[in-house]
Formats: sequence, C-alpha cells, structure tokens
Amino acid sequence: MRADFLDRYARGDTWCHRLAPRTKLWGLLVYLVVVMVTPLSHWPLLGLAACLVVTGLTLAEIPRAYVLQRLAWLLPPVLGFAFAGPLSSGLSTGWELALLIAVRSVLSFLAGLWLVNTTPFDPLLEALAAMGMPHRFVELLAFMYRYCFVVFDELVRMRTAQRARTVSHPSLWHAWRDAANLLGMLLIRSLNRAERIHGAMCSRGWTGRLPKSQS
Amino acid sequence: MHIPDGVLSPGVCLGTGVVAAFCLQHAFRRLDQTLATRTVPLTGMLAALVFAGQMVNFPIGLPASGHLIGAALAAILLGPLGASVALSLVLFVQMALFSDGGKFAYGANVLNMALVAPWTAWLVFQGIRSRFPNPRGTLIAGMLAAWSSVLASAACFCLQFWLSYPSGTFPLSRVWLLMAGFHSLIGVGEALITGAILSVVLLQRPDLVHAPLTAPSGNLRNLVGTGVVAALLISAFVAPFASELPDGLEKVAQETGFGSRVTPASPILLEDYSLPVPGTEADDPLWGKVATALAGLLGTTTVLVLGWLLSRGMPSGDPPAEKLHAG
Repeated sequence: MRADFLDRYARGDTWCHRLAPRTKLWGLLVYLVVVMVTPLSHWPLLGLAACLVVTGLTLAEIPRAYVLQRLAWLLPPVLGFAFAGPLSSGLSTGWELALLIAVRSVLSFLAGLWLVNTTPFDPLLEALAAMGMPHRFVELLAFMYRYCFVVFDELVRMRTAQRARTVSHPSLWHAWRDAANLLGMLLIRSLNRAERIHGAMCSRGWTGRLPKSQS
Repeated sequence: MHIPDGVLSPGVCLGTGVVAAFCLQHAFRRLDQTLATRTVPLTGMLAALVFAGQMVNFPIGLPASGHLIGAALAAILLGPLGASVALSLVLFVQMALFSDGGKFAYGANVLNMALVAPWTAWLVFQGIRSRFPNPRGTLIAGMLAAWSSVLASAACFCLQFWLSYPSGTFPLSRVWLLMAGFHSLIGVGEALITGAILSVVLLQRPDLVHAPLTAPSGNLRNLVGTGVVAALLISAFVAPFASELPDGLEKVAQETGFGSRVTPASPILLEDYSLPVPGTEADDPLWGKVATALAGLLGTTTVLVLGWLLSRGMPSGDPPAEKLHAG
C-alpha cells in the first residue's frame, strides 16, 4: 500500500506546508467561525473567504482535479440538505437559505481540505494535543492511523486473491456474497492480529498507557 | 451522511458538541475501567476496520453502490462503549484526512453516528437476542439493529436540522418524511451488509460477538431499553399523524427562549399530547403521513424477511453464543 494513500498531498514543500500546524489550526478555526456567522447580505465577506481559500489551495499546489473530485463527493448530500427547504415548502420559499447552506458548506469544506493536505497526520495530532485534546483520544488516533495501513494492506491482498479465484463476472448475488466474505474474514483476521499485537505489547511491558514522549 | 459545516446553526453545533463531549468522556472513562490494557489496541483496530470496511463496495445493480456504515457491527462486536469510541475515531479521521464532515459539526456527527446509532443498535440487538439467543436469532437481531441504527441517526439529524433554523422554515414532519423515505432504503442496505458479514463471523468465530458483562441483571434492563428504543422508533413513524409534535415543541422553544440551543437528548419523549395546538391538522396532506408510516413498516418487514432468508443456513440448535451469554 502506498505510504501516502490517506493524505496524498500533505507532504509537499510549499509555503503553506511549512507553516506551523498550530498556526494553521487557529487560522482555520477563525475562518470557519467567520464563514459560519456571515449572513448572505454580507456577501463581499463570503467572496473574500472564497478568494482566500482558492489562493491557499493554489499556493499549496494541490491539484485542481483532486479538489474538484472531492467537491463532487461533497455536493450531492449538501445540495440535498439545502434543497430540503424549498422542497418541503412547495418550491416557493427558502431559496436564500438553500444558497447560504451550499456556500457555507463548500467554503468550509475547501478550507478543511486545505488544512489536511498541507499538514501530515502526526504533526496535526501533536498540535491538537498541545491545544488540549484529551490524551487518550490522541493515543487511540495514533494507533488507529497505524492500523489503517495494516488493515488496508490486508484488504488489498485478500481482494487480489479473491479476484484471482473468480473466473467470470459474478452475478449480483455472488458479488454480495464475495464482498461479505471478504469483510467478514478481514474482520476475523484483523481482530486476531490485534490480539496478537496486544499479547506482544503486554510481554514488552505495556501497561495500558503510551509513554508521554512520542517521536 | 456526514454533516458538513454550514448546514447546522452555530447554536446547534455548540449544543451537540457539549453533549457529545460529555458522553464521549464518560465512555472513555468507563472503557478505561473495564479493559485496562486491551482498550487501546483493540479499539484502534476496530476503528481501522470500520474505516476500511467503508471502502468495500456492495453493488446494487445501479451505477451507484452501497457500503457499510458499521455502527451496528461495531456495537455487536465491541459493545456500545467500545463502539462509541471506535466510531468517533473513525469520524475524526474522516474529518481530519478527507474533510468528510465539518469541524464544527463534529459534535453533531459524533452524536448521530457514534452515540445514538451504536446504542440504538445495541439495545435492539440485546433485546431481541435475549429472547432468541440462537445464531439465527442473533443474525436477525443484528440486522434489525443495523436498520434501526440508521433510522435513529437520521431522526437525530432531522431534529438538529430543524432546530437550526427559525421555526417554520422547515416543517419537521416533512423533513422527516424525506429523510425517513431515503434512510429506510439505506437502512435495508446496511442491514443486508451487516447481516452478510455477521453470518460469516457467526460461522467462523461466534465468540467474537460481544457478550454482555452483566448477564442476570442486565436482561431486564436490556429489555426495558429495547422497549424504549422500539417505542421511540415507532413513534418517529407515527409522529407525523400527531402533528401537535412539531408545533408543540416549537411553542415550548419559543416560550422558554432556548430556541436553537435545545439538544436533542430525548426528542420524541417530549411528545406530549397535553400540548394540543388546534387548527394545525390540515397543514399536512394525509399521504405524507401515510408515506412516513409506510416507509417504517415496509423497511422493518423487508429487513425481517431478508434476515429470515439470510439466516436459513444458520444452525438453529444449541447456540455457542449461549454459553457466553450466561457467563
């Protein structure tokens, strides 16, 4: 599995990437609050926010195709939420609100995308811990991040094996059965692995707490 | 289903955030007490698994395809506390790495998908399984749990959405009609996927299904909990018939002035027929109410039938899960 499949552009070397994670987090927070409370009548402020985020994404050299692809995933549910208003009132009212919801969601989403694609996960966690996120939560997140790669590797291997055993295009029923078998076996294998790792950790003096100083 | 920023109002984000933080903190503390050293590795692994599981596509014969949501499965395998923690981790990683779900809406997302969904699933699962403890019953219980978990989190979202905007912008019953119709379908898919995976697990490693730690005294509590959940789910579908509910709530919210800061801790419990608001009966067309109720009825029946079919291969005799159940 590619080492960077989770955060593909986070390890770039632009001005945005070099900013301290904590600065970026605070900046994002302020930005989100501003976007969240600005009404549609103050549209120049929203326009400024849009310019800011587009500039940020350009400066960080995040490919436009990637951003658009992510937006394509975001838009259907957002538009669904937004148009629930006009739809539920017979298309007569609620259009401004729909527009506001759509604009706010897209702007916040792009800003979030900018942060995660300019900051690798570990520094982000460190910054969050320094900002007061509970220690337990950070610990678990660090574990989960590492396990993600192991589990995805296993998933890809099992899928390759399954494809190698499948001769023809499966019917819908078989596709479901195969996917369910895949996930069921992945689950059993991964939980077995977690138990083995837990045993290995215990035999090395694991007490249930990570030592404070992590690299 | 991840709520992006900007959909909910700041007040609702704040309220749900506080409730979610409180519940999560409680879950963490309880988890620390129960399984001291195993917590971190096992919960971390299950979170990674749910995350990976959401990437496997289940074709539905259309260009689109479904995927596992995993709240019910996590609750069945890890218990509700562990599931809450694992799912909030998944939501965090999806927010932090993929920007799925808003930063401010994280509390609402955790509340809907990491607290309400697994707890609903767990109560339904335990309630049905305590009556039918064989593998067949376990499988059907798991599928019904998956279905109700999707519906419960959708209901929670509806309420948050409705609370986010000045009263009258979105009639609650109509938003719920849209959401319930849509999520009945999603719920059936989730039930099918959960059932298919659970049947593999039940055949290979039935001991992985999380056994209740308090067997004798827990049964009654589970039964009561299940009853409450069932009542909530049913009343969610019947609620549109009693259209006093939204207006009654609205009135309470206006009079006490806590408008958008209301947190949906017990949404349907507030359904009180002593708050009659005359003249609102005619607002909604009858077909809307019938459609909402039908969506609930059809969904449940479909899941039951599918569960029955899927569990035909299961041994219905002496269950391996029974021993764990009693122990």
